[in-house]
Amino acid sequence: MAYVITDTCTKDELCVEACPVDCIHPKKDEPDFEEIKHLMIDPEACIDCGACVPVCPTNSIFTLDELPADQQQFAAANAAYYGK
Amino acid sequence: MPTLAALLAENTREGVLWERLDERRIRCTACGHCCPIFEGQAGVCKVRFNSGGKLRVPWGYVAGAQCDPIEKKPFFHVRPGSLAYSFGMLGCDLHCGYCQNWVTSQALRDPEAVAPVRRATPEGLVRQAVDSGAEAVVSTYNEPLITAEWAVAVFQEARAAGLVTGFVSNGNATPQVLEYLRPWVDLYKVDLKSFNDRHYRELGGRLQPILDSLRRIHALGFWLEVVTLVVPGFNDSEEELGAIAGFLAGISPDVPWHVTAFHADYQLQAPRDTRPEDLLRAAQIGRQAGLRYVYAGNIPGGVGGLEDTQCPGCGERLIRRRGYRILEYRLTTDGRCEKCATAIPGRWAMACGV
Repeated sequence: MAYVITDTCTKDELCVEACPVDCIHPKKDEPDFEEIKHLMIDPEACIDCGACVPVCPTNSIFTLDELPADQQQFAAANAAYYGK
Repeated sequence: MPTLAALLAENTREGVLWERLDERRIRCTACGHCCPIFEGQAGVCKVRFNSGGKLRVPWGYVAGAQCDPIEKKPFFHVRPGSLAYSFGMLGCDLHCGYCQNWVTSQALRDPEAVAPVRRATPEGLVRQAVDSGAEAVVSTYNEPLITAEWAVAVFQEARAAGLVTGFVSNGNATPQVLEYLRPWVDLYKVDLKSFNDRHYRELGGRLQPILDSLRRIHALGFWLEVVTLVVPGFNDSEEELGAIAGFLAGISPDVPWHVTAFHADYQLQAPRDTRPEDLLRAAQIGRQAGLRYVYAGNIPGGVGGLEDTQCPGCGERLIRRRGYRILEYRLTTDGRCEKCATAIPGRWAMACGV
């Protein structure tokens, strides 16, 4: 099912530091960190554990099921970042 | 009324299986997730949490405890016909859509999973085990790796009382937890649910830590039996079952492999239940891969001789079973075929008198 990051993300990387499977990118030391608007979750690598949700200070992370109707585009954006 | 999470937070103590990661995070090493955990947060299992820079872990309660036939765990090569005193706590590090123990395993995630807990002591549990005639004490029902410290406390008492100890686990372990358990755990059952990493991620895990753990469990000398719940459309292709069986045979052809039937449960209601012919096919794949002890489970009386233990040397039927019952037992006291004296691997001592 996977989680999805939306554009209220401030790229603080707390989710990156809480993720047990390293499925959130880009990180600060990766090339497109500056230009990308928000961090992205790899939908095929995500294990749907939810560890990223409580550490996000801006409540930017949702399950696919709970993604608000006006933010559905971020599911595709997260997947597209990983070429999926 | 306190929430379940608040109630469980009280029943904790400082854990053993963790390390400091940096000034803000600790890392739990009880399961293959190796969660990095910030102050005030819990790991994926939701029962191990960071409080004041230290890991708190479940302690002093059970969500269920009862005597079951040891065949139900299933351990088929351990004291056949004996009772295993089985206890569990709450929580799991995976979230399988077809879990048959979801009321306990998903209690912290799913508001519909409501499981009562009661306070317990290792001494009290082992006394109950002894009083009910059990020969083994087994941590099961929820994932025992995430409550490993409590299990060891119970097993230390169990050993002192002369009982065998066991884990019924998804196998998503770490080198650290297996080293920690080894002195106190005799038996280890692993559910190898798939051989496909994508599938494992759907269940909330990864394949590699489980494969690494299977090799390590065997190498460390635990008595290992493996179960694969055959779920039509999920893991029952020739290719996937063949890969599982080949991997196990590569560890040892003596590892018993139980292929068991799926019945719709929890969130997974489709596509259909496993049929006897599905299990016969899976068992044949296991035999072709070289496994000597392949069993078909959950369809008592419906799978021919696939509930029985046959001698790989001469083909003699040595243990005849139906469901959890032992109908016939013909191993010698030192665990050999009574006809050709081939040694059958297992922990047979004090076998039942059928």
